[in-house]
Amino acid sequence: MKYDDPKLREMLAGRYVLGTMPRRARARFDRLIAEDAVFCADVREWAEIFSPIDAAEMPVAPPPRVWRAIEAQLGPARAPAAAPRRAWFDSLWLWRGATGFAAAIAVALLLYFGVFATQEAPPVPTVVAVLNDAKSGAPAWIARTSRDDVVTVSALGRQTIDAGHSFQLWAIAGGAPRPLGLLSPVPGRGIAVSASAIPPTGGVLAISLEPAGGSPTGQPTGPVLFSGKVFSNPL
Amino acid sequence: MPEKPLVSPELLDRVARGDRTAFAELYRLAAPKLFPVALRIALRRDLAEEVLQESFVAVWNQAASYDPVKGSPLIWMTTIVRHRAIDQRRRRANLADATAGSDEALLALVAGESDRADRGAELAALSRCLNQLEAQPRQAVLLAYVHGYTHEELAERLATPVGTIKSWVRRSLERLKRCLDG
Repeated sequence: MKYDDPKLREMLAGRYVLGTMPRRARARFDRLIAEDAVFCADVREWAEIFSPIDAAEMPVAPPPRVWRAIEAQLGPARAPAAAPRRAWFDSLWLWRGATGFAAAIAVALLLYFGVFATQEAPPVPTVVAVLNDAKSGAPAWIARTSRDDVVTVSALGRQTIDAGHSFQLWAIAGGAPRPLGLLSPVPGRGIAVSASAIPPTGGVLAISLEPAGGSPTGQPTGPVLFSGKVFSNPL
Repeated sequence: MPEKPLVSPELLDRVARGDRTAFAELYRLAAPKLFPVALRIALRRDLAEEVLQESFVAVWNQAASYDPVKGSPLIWMTTIVRHRAIDQRRRRANLADATAGSDEALLALVAGESDRADRGAELAALSRCLNQLEAQPRQAVLLAYVHGYTHEELAERLATPVGTIKSWVRRSLERLKRCLDG
């Protein structure tokens, strides 16, 4: 193949990034990338074109066992090559100690800068479910682990509701919905739910509009305004 | 879009020198961004975990080969994760059916049909150019990128011969590039 044809290179790089290139062809392309910066630049262009799709994903923290498995595969610690103490190095250490949530959006929740324990991936709240607005599809509520056995459900942005109504949370896993509690429309005022009450992975959390104080019947009586699949049950 | 990259080239540079603390930091920052990518392609949580694990071991071993000319560190790692997830998926082709409709929200977001307020300028530009493609070629490109479909899976899903799929993909890439460069 004539790799000096820029059009051909561009197309190959496009297929490499898109993922439709067969595995063996991709391995050959990997070698070309390693040898020639021209290919790197082609690949980078395509990767940057498609990367907004990945950037739009809600972050999801992997379970701690993934980090443990990775560490186990690294082998004995190599002595780090003496790293020059540059300014960024110092600031990184300072920054590492910082604790805080950024904005009240799921993205920020997952970039939780917890206290950093060397060689241990620190605990990151795991998102259990994101509940989307039934009309617009926009993420509106988040359920995430706060302790091992507790899941907190809170609004991502302020929700409006009149005094005559309440938002009620339900667990749906086959059979009748089970009530989990009344929600606060204010972000940051999450309610705690026992993890054992959360449906298994694939089940659904839903929020209906009920009379103030909750459904009088123990079953949803108003419209379901928000719902989301449980994609990671903590138990 | 953030001005400051989530993962700095300096951090990757420390990883390349065998600094495990830097590697743990890299994992903490990047894993929550990369795990959903593995999940949506590998489809099963256990398989996605395996993909993430293999990918980070590869990052540790290959960090020295990272060059900023390859893009930001996160983009470089995303490519590693995607390719491993696609391989995982191809080994288990029987999972393919499970994807049907699983990622409508993401597809709608990319297609510009979502009113989510946080669509960045780059995503908006990509959506605009994707929307200039005809419906089926656009669907083919999106399914390939979002779920890692092969030409054969696309052919089946879109009930179209493989040869047509290939030319759709090629022409769509050409048009996308022209649109985004223009």
